[in-house]
Amino acid sequence: MSNLLQAELLKLRTTRTFLALAGAAVAVSLLLSVLVSALSSDISEQDARDIVTFDFTGLFILVLGAIGMTGEWRHRTITSAFLAAPDRARFLIAKLLAYAAAGAVMSLVVSVAVMIVSMVILSSQGEPTISFSDALDVLWRNLLIAALFGALGVAVGAVLRTQVLAIVGLLLALFIVEPTLAAVAPDVARFGPLLGAPASLYPDTFVGGDDEVLSPVLGVLVELAWIASLSALGALLLNKRDLT
Amino acid sequence: MAAIELRGLTKRFGSVEAVRDLSFDAEAGRVTGFLGPNGAGKSTSLRVLLGLARPSAGTATFGGRRFEALDRPSATVGATLEDTSVHPGRSGRDHLRVLAAAGGHPPARVDELLGTVGLSDVAGRRVKGYSMGMRQRLAIAAALLGDPEVLIFDEPTNGLDPPGIRWLRDLLRAEAGRGRAVLVSSHLLAEVAQSVDEVVIIARGELRAQGPLEQVLGREGGANQVYVRSTASDRLAEALGRQRLEFQHAGADALLVSGASSEQVATIAGEAGAPLLELTTRGRSLEDAFVELTADRP
Repeated sequence: MSNLLQAELLKLRTTRTFLALAGAAVAVSLLLSVLVSALSSDISEQDARDIVTFDFTGLFILVLGAIGMTGEWRHRTITSAFLAAPDRARFLIAKLLAYAAAGAVMSLVVSVAVMIVSMVILSSQGEPTISFSDALDVLWRNLLIAALFGALGVAVGAVLRTQVLAIVGLLLALFIVEPTLAAVAPDVARFGPLLGAPASLYPDTFVGGDDEVLSPVLGVLVELAWIASLSALGALLLNKRDLT
Repeated sequence: MAAIELRGLTKRFGSVEAVRDLSFDAEAGRVTGFLGPNGAGKSTSLRVLLGLARPSAGTATFGGRRFEALDRPSATVGATLEDTSVHPGRSGRDHLRVLAAAGGHPPARVDELLGTVGLSDVAGRRVKGYSMGMRQRLAIAAALLGDPEVLIFDEPTNGLDPPGIRWLRDLLRAEAGRGRAVLVSSHLLAEVAQSVDEVVIIARGELRAQGPLEQVLGREGGANQVYVRSTASDRLAEALGRQRLEFQHAGADALLVSGASSEQVATIAGEAGAPLLELTTRGRSLEDAFVELTADRP
């Protein structure tokens, strides 16, 4: 497994798509945090916390995970992948772990960069900032969500296989389906994989209101259940498919 | 136990039978040509052998084990397949590094093999800019990464220029010389005829013949014809007729004799007092025999 994981991490580092999107995640997060912190005045401690802990990695790694998995079909590299790893489930697990690791690393870079830049700007303007322990508290949440989203993207890619379908499907679910569901039926929406369950780690971000949010432990378990069931379905489909 | 063993292999896609009850062996230390026209079922057989597709019936194994059951697949079997692709944005070297990592092969093998296949100069370039021949060489390098005991090349001459084809031929022979079992598929007999020890010929998903090339394609035994020219061809024709040999006229002074050796024809001509102008053996061309063997049957 460690060989396959190493190969997957190497795949990530050796294509421009990943480097470009990872760079974009850093750039977008930094740009927004600079703009927001520079333009803010008379902000509350909660606002400061939101600005300083801003992290876009989740969205990027979600899409990257889907691209990484579906790209194996798109570029027909799946054949050489299966020749190197005939056990297709192990291949999928290696990819899930690789994108989870990539998400966590990306989030670490983005979060730390955003924290440093925004704290410097906010404190130079005499605005409130957050304590080191608060920063750490948000950091682990960001890292965990990014890791889970990386794996989720791969799992969705394993099920849908077609790149455009996987990406469009994820974005529709993220920006339309889950928000709509949160407004209409928050009881159901809090179990959603893209907004509902992740909101358990950032309670104030859930449209349905704080009361409906799952506890962090339950939220993470629900998220893991989504990843596990989609991955199991993906592995089943991978195993059934003849590569001809 | 043979290095590669197919037993009663059948692969159906819906109602279409792509491969039917195919059995053959490929032995270590020999180059086995896997020949047949396009669409004969060669690639399908290889894909089943390599665990990429499931057989509908029968087995395909390496030393008795299915590909999926091998402990270190890429150190046991190296393969190039016709439509195996490389991520266009990755360099040739990075492509091999990924495969070396996946197979647990030392990274130093990558540069060594890039040299072997003649891609060292372009190793850092993105594969998008590679010619077909360069991609083929890269695929061959990937197959060799784990220094496997079995090598499977599916239509490896595609995209190679004449020096490339010669290089490949030498490589196949060298690998067999090192005791590797080499199975090489092709729809063009001429491109592998010089490098194979044995052939397995299939058409329409079925085995048509297997064995040493010359034997299978009928150059041994009675399939030869003797072309003979004589100043007294009529007298020679009568003498041949008396020996009940089949012949046909092939010009004013020439005959084409079937089922006899050149020595026999020379002796008969001498006894008949027919002076010879020319005497040559004409084998049926390998290509003719191949085409006949793989022709559609009613």
